[in-house]
Amino acid sequence: MNNIALKDLLYKIADDQLIIGHRNSEWTGIGPILEEDIAFSSMAQDKIGHSYAFFNVLHELGESDPDTTAFLRNAEQFHNCQFVELPIGEYDFSLVRHFLFDHSEMIRFEMLTNSSFEPISLIARKLKGEVKYHIMHANVWIKKLGTATNESIERLQKSLDEAIPFALGIFEESKYEEELANEKIFPGEIALKERWIEQISDVLKQTELQLPDLSLTEARTGGRYGRHTEYLQPLLDEMSEVIKSDPTAEW
Amino acid sequence: MESLDPRIARLEISDDAILQPKEALDQLVTYEVFVQKKDKAAFEHVGIVHASDVEMAFIFAKETFSRRFTCFGMCVVETGKIRITGYTDNDNNIYDQVAKVEHGDGPEEIYEIFHLKKRGKQHVHIGSVEAESYDNALYKAKVLYDDEKPKFNVWVIKNSDILFSDEDDKAIWDTLSDKKYRDATAYRAMDKIKKFKEEQLNQ
Amino acid sequence: MYGGGNLFETPKLDELRNEDPIKLKEFEDRIERGEKIEPNDWMPALYRKQLIRMIEQHAHSEIIGALPEGTWITRAPGFKRKMSLMAKVQDEVGHAQLLYSAAETLGKSREQMIDDLISGKSKYSNIFNYPTFTWADCCFISWLVDAGAIVNQTANARGSYGPYCRALDRICAEESFHLKYGHHCVIHLATGTPKQRKMMQEAIDRWWEPLMHFFGPPDKLSVHTETLVKWKVKMATNDENRQQFLDMYVPKIWELGLTIPDPNLKKNAETGLWEYTEPDWAEFKRVINGDGPCNKERLAVRRVAEERGEWVRQAMLAPQSKYVVPLA
Repeated sequence: MNNIALKDLLYKIADDQLIIGHRNSEWTGIGPILEEDIAFSSMAQDKIGHSYAFFNVLHELGESDPDTTAFLRNAEQFHNCQFVELPIGEYDFSLVRHFLFDHSEMIRFEMLTNSSFEPISLIARKLKGEVKYHIMHANVWIKKLGTATNESIERLQKSLDEAIPFALGIFEESKYEEELANEKIFPGEIALKERWIEQISDVLKQTELQLPDLSLTEARTGGRYGRHTEYLQPLLDEMSEVIKSDPTAEW
Repeated sequence: MESLDPRIARLEISDDAILQPKEALDQLVTYEVFVQKKDKAAFEHVGIVHASDVEMAFIFAKETFSRRFTCFGMCVVETGKIRITGYTDNDNNIYDQVAKVEHGDGPEEIYEIFHLKKRGKQHVHIGSVEAESYDNALYKAKVLYDDEKPKFNVWVIKNSDILFSDEDDKAIWDTLSDKKYRDATAYRAMDKIKKFKEEQLNQ
Repeated sequence: MYGGGNLFETPKLDELRNEDPIKLKEFEDRIERGEKIEPNDWMPALYRKQLIRMIEQHAHSEIIGALPEGTWITRAPGFKRKMSLMAKVQDEVGHAQLLYSAAETLGKSREQMIDDLISGKSKYSNIFNYPTFTWADCCFISWLVDAGAIVNQTANARGSYGPYCRALDRICAEESFHLKYGHHCVIHLATGTPKQRKMMQEAIDRWWEPLMHFFGPPDKLSVHTETLVKWKVKMATNDENRQQFLDMYVPKIWELGLTIPDPNLKKNAETGLWEYTEPDWAEFKRVINGDGPCNKERLAVRRVAEERGEWVRQAMLAPQSKYVVPLA
């Protein structure tokens, strides 16, 4: 099995989950209504839990322990897509990101349940229930706010327009697509993207929202290769602030 | 506003904003939530959520009421759609006050019946009846479900008003095993205290 | 997380004179028998008013209490601490949800309660008006402020109002992990590196007085609440709660080699009671009336959260449905 390709895949999944989990956790305590505050926080916890699971697999493959890997690297060593590192904005943006990202996540995990690399397929199967809820949650909200008031529709449309170039960055191909597909570890970003477009279109069709013309949209890529927006490093500094204050300590 | 909280700092709250009560009313409707604590167990009332509609109520209820304790199924219904009897106390059975209503003015449909068997506890689902109105359903419930013990309050709900969790979505309940960090048992540290005390003694 | 305190109003005698004496007797007998009062039961207006006030303050304390700890979520050291803290802060929001719901059954809408919080009309636990400068401050809250709250909540869970008791039972069950988690964090700091130890000691030095305030003024300075005691609205006095807390937690703090910034703190072997320096009650009053280090920020954050969420709630309004008071 090609370890470099495998690790590249694991890093991008773990980093995506770690960063979006942190971003979404910023809403805890300040959400638009109490029940949503609770639901969104649960999903943020799930994401961080997912990343922990993948960092553990990386650890078993010889990388440092999860805390070191997750909290002591610099931005250019991160493989997450730029989409997940953007600030939370207002709730419309966070919801649209949740909808777009989580649909890709669900399909990715579905594909990974059949991965030839067993530790991955095991995790993917275990997380099925959580991811299912995330999608139910996202769909209910997008259908609600995408049909409710002029303001909610306009806000969601604006956020969707802003988010789409970054969302396409989720599917930035790695150097190892062929190896991963040949070894039946992961079928690849292109296949994932096709299914993703179908799935989100199905939901958006039931709303007043228009999916921007994807053929005319340039994807915001680079994240998978360590090129990030100005927002990632400050977030990483924050995440590691306590750990770095005394790296010898057990917290 | 400068804040020690980095996420609050990012909200860019203006310093001179004055505290004012907001104008528009946005009080949402409430939904009553019921859970199955064990597989195939009766639905039991747990509380309410605020929501826009029954689908969203379900989404909210799931994390509000099942994130910490095991749950095998859930259902939600708009509070206003529940018909409730008066409350009794001591050994007075509310069914003794229920009049004979043999028919109703609606088509026959399924009504779900919930009993309060002890004051201070939660309402529990006891069964369903086919009836032509709420009053008709209550009377049929009295015939079917009134055993010796007193019932202090009864709720009658049309089955069609309730959103039940889907068998196909069963996986969503099976997520607690990975969340041990929400259990008190995950935080044992007595050995650390013991070691610390020993070190203090040896110094 | 709510410590109780003196935030009751003195019941006015004439408020009771207008009540139907027969119904009042039935009501009091029911409480005497140990039965719970349910939302649809007859109750004196004063009972309703004081309960709304108490439950509402409790709910506000939860939602505001989520802020000083919430600030450490992104910074929490390592995966385990992060997930625990997220779950804990989330629970506080969940507790606010449960408590507002219980108060709603008495006829005040959640929206009205939140409006009253934002406008400064109703209060919340004073302790959340202090800042969390370091990770150790956050750990102090998780362990000891929660511990104080649990003392109070466990007492209140034996009260007379059904919906409040049920909410508190659930809250206490959820909080059992908070306490263990907080203690776990403090143990790690106290037995850790010199830097960690110093951080923890400084947090205790900062938070001890607010924590003594948390239980409310001494009984001799508090308003008379005999009626509320009889009605099982108030289940323990401020001093009883404070004593119970000291008894349970001072030894646990001392065993970690940490000191408490009160030279007079000791247990009187004869009376079995703890003796301590009275905290500065003028400071307590000043902070409760709005002049603490973080009052302005806490309310501003809550207000902004409400304002920025308003379009969401507007979109969720269902004109065909009518708001009715929740049932239980």
